[in-house]
Amino acid sequence: MRLSLATLLLTALATAQPRYGILLKNGHVIDPANNIDAIRDIAISTNKIARVAVNIPAAQARKTIDATGLYVTPGLIDLHAHVFGYDGSLFPDDTALLAGTTTIVDAGGSGWRTFDAMLEKIIKPSQTRVLALINIVGHGMIGAKFEDDVNDMDSERTAAKIAQHRAHIVGIKTAHFGGHGWTAIDRAVAAGKIASVPVMVDDKIFTNTGRTSREKLLDKMRPGDIHTHMFNDRQLEVLNRFTGKVEPYMIEARRRGVLFDLGHGGGSFLWPVAAKALAQGFAPDTISTDLHSSSILIPGSDMPNCISKMMALGMTLVDAIARSTVAPAKAIKRYPELGTLTEGQTADIALFHLRTGTFSYHDAWQKKRLASKKLEAVMTIRDGKLVFDQEGRAYPEWTKAGEYEVIP
Amino acid sequence: MDESGRVRGDPVKLAALALLTLAAPAQEIYDIVLKGGHVVDAKNNRNAQMDIAIAGARIRKIATGIPAAHARRTVSVSGYYVTPGLIDIQAHVNAVGDAHSVNPDHNTLRHGVTTVVDAGSSGYKNFERFKTEVIDRSTTRVLAFVNIVDTGMPGAAIENDPAHMNAEATAAIAKKYPRQVVGIKTAHYQPANWEAVDRAIKAAALSNTVAMIDFHPKPGRGYRELILEHMRPGDIHTHVYGRLTPQLDANKKIEGHMLAARKRGVLFDVGHGSGSLWFRIAQPAVAQGFLPDTISTDMHKRSIMIPRATLTNVMSKFIAMGMTPEQVIERVTANAARAIRRTEIGSLEEGGTADIAVLELRAGKFAYLDSGHGKLTSDKELRAVMTIRNGKVVWDSEGLSLTDWEAAGPYSNFK
Repeated sequence: MRLSLATLLLTALATAQPRYGILLKNGHVIDPANNIDAIRDIAISTNKIARVAVNIPAAQARKTIDATGLYVTPGLIDLHAHVFGYDGSLFPDDTALLAGTTTIVDAGGSGWRTFDAMLEKIIKPSQTRVLALINIVGHGMIGAKFEDDVNDMDSERTAAKIAQHRAHIVGIKTAHFGGHGWTAIDRAVAAGKIASVPVMVDDKIFTNTGRTSREKLLDKMRPGDIHTHMFNDRQLEVLNRFTGKVEPYMIEARRRGVLFDLGHGGGSFLWPVAAKALAQGFAPDTISTDLHSSSILIPGSDMPNCISKMMALGMTLVDAIARSTVAPAKAIKRYPELGTLTEGQTADIALFHLRTGTFSYHDAWQKKRLASKKLEAVMTIRDGKLVFDQEGRAYPEWTKAGEYEVIP
Repeated sequence: MDESGRVRGDPVKLAALALLTLAAPAQEIYDIVLKGGHVVDAKNNRNAQMDIAIAGARIRKIATGIPAAHARRTVSVSGYYVTPGLIDIQAHVNAVGDAHSVNPDHNTLRHGVTTVVDAGSSGYKNFERFKTEVIDRSTTRVLAFVNIVDTGMPGAAIENDPAHMNAEATAAIAKKYPRQVVGIKTAHYQPANWEAVDRAIKAAALSNTVAMIDFHPKPGRGYRELILEHMRPGDIHTHVYGRLTPQLDANKKIEGHMLAARKRGVLFDVGHGSGSLWFRIAQPAVAQGFLPDTISTDMHKRSIMIPRATLTNVMSKFIAMGMTPEQVIERVTANAARAIRRTEIGSLEEGGTADIAVLELRAGKFAYLDSGHGKLTSDKELRAVMTIRNGKVVWDSEGLSLTDWEAAGPYSNFK
């Protein structure tokens, strides 16, 4: 250890190069995995977090960025978004990176037949880290005609595709199944067992589906499987309709290890459900957006907004960040390499203002709730590179830059 | 209607108004009334506090003191600018046929933009797919400059090859789709000849549309010649404050050829993009009164990140350089509509389509980057708080038009 430090120092002296590339100074670091909630500096070397400490000298970095007044968190992980296949899919970079999200999980846009196309068209060209929950439907999320066809729900082929692409595929999605009975969920779980990955469930319950919330959560889903859209009362009966109390099977399912995900979307976040559930202490395990063309506008389902909405319902910022970083990383079995600011890990970092004032937040029914705090993304670092800088904190005043060319 | 006195004496408008009055019921019920906003509508010389009433997809009335009782929904917009829906005449939104394009709706409507013009991300061979899969399916009104290159912007090998530039076929597609195609684009062309420019202008002439030129000067193919000889009055040079073309002399004075070209009717557009807005060029030009004719983003996958080429951001940069909000708004509404010869948009007209932006000029501490990452600090920021497209509220960041959840009574997705 001493030797390698000495070698590093010598190398640094010999080449007269600063030891670090970027230094974020004086930000309020929230890194729940490491129990940090304090002012710290963060030094980045190439694409890794090199050091997190109090007062790292600016002279040791090529570029020092003043993060005073900002919260500094691990790059957010959006466990449920749409960037391929689905009709309302968006591109990852201009939706994720501008919102402090550095890892986006596509929730079922592709299936085993179409994942290779997603890999080439979306995953490889994007700066955002794009992971996938592949759909149990071989064609992916391309409409009811395909998504209701149980003949295209092949557990073995789905598991085989996952085995081929472990770097990118983190689990399985089942969604929108309009048929009767348990076939979609059973086949997704069967594929999950073969491939040893979690299943994310989106599932309508109507009296004519032959499915109930209790059976789904207690008998069908495994510990570690994820029910998304938790505050959509068409997907889960979280609350008893007469008493407004959280149903006992919800608490039992949580005890078994079933995870509940926000999955805000255009239709799945309702104030009356979320407010009552959070008031009784039943918060989402993971905060996610279900981001697509109709959820990003008036419902405003990007990650900082979803976090702000949880805060409006009483969650602390530190808790909300945990449920947007380390918790989703664990849910997709990517902890500790994702979701933390641990030294040695990839430098995926988000910086935010926490504004105070009067802000309006909207649910799927376009009903508003006013709140006094707003989390606002101002800077994003992905893989050690600055990719978003709303306030130009990383750059000099143009009047002091002479006849400047592109300033690095 | 006529409190301002502006319509009086315009017989055409009076006749239209008379017809409207005859056709409408005596006491119209409006869907939305925007109350108390500062209306900026350069084409109609409006710059004052007024109300706007909307019914269905159309604006029915623009006046002071429209009674709230006549509206299903009254939205207080006092303290905000109320403008025609913004028009971004230079962006890349062919998300299905161009690797650099972004999706239109969330990158436009969130910034007050109701009309976006794709600047050459498709050519005559792939325009129809762009139309079917993006234009026809977007909430935003998407128009297009068709590239003189047959497949748009697929890379240097094809974009530098005149064999891929067919003026007649390009003009034919523009004539086939006159509702969507507003002109012809040429861009990125490197060989030291005039083939790309001249063929684009020829296609524009054949289709009676505008040419938009992105120009890289070469020995024997100079900028002066471009704007004084090759371009026609009404053609648009985009990237006017970029590094590639000479606008300023050694003393940072505006070159005579810029003034001469403007005099003959050549239009100069911002087209911010990744490489084309430099404060060290734009600031001296603006200070000397050489303002852009139109302000646009050249928004694409890279420029939308750093340096944040969204329209309200680019507008904020010009306010920070000393232009007034009214000057900036005019360049993304009335001027933009005139440049693309779509005078039915870009203004607020009784009886016209209700495309409206509600903008907030915020005070605080802000900073903006240019294409060289030079920073300009400012005490103002313009942002869109509400966008109405075709009579529908499609963006409402402050919830101005929305009901509080507790007032909405119990609601549920469960049926």
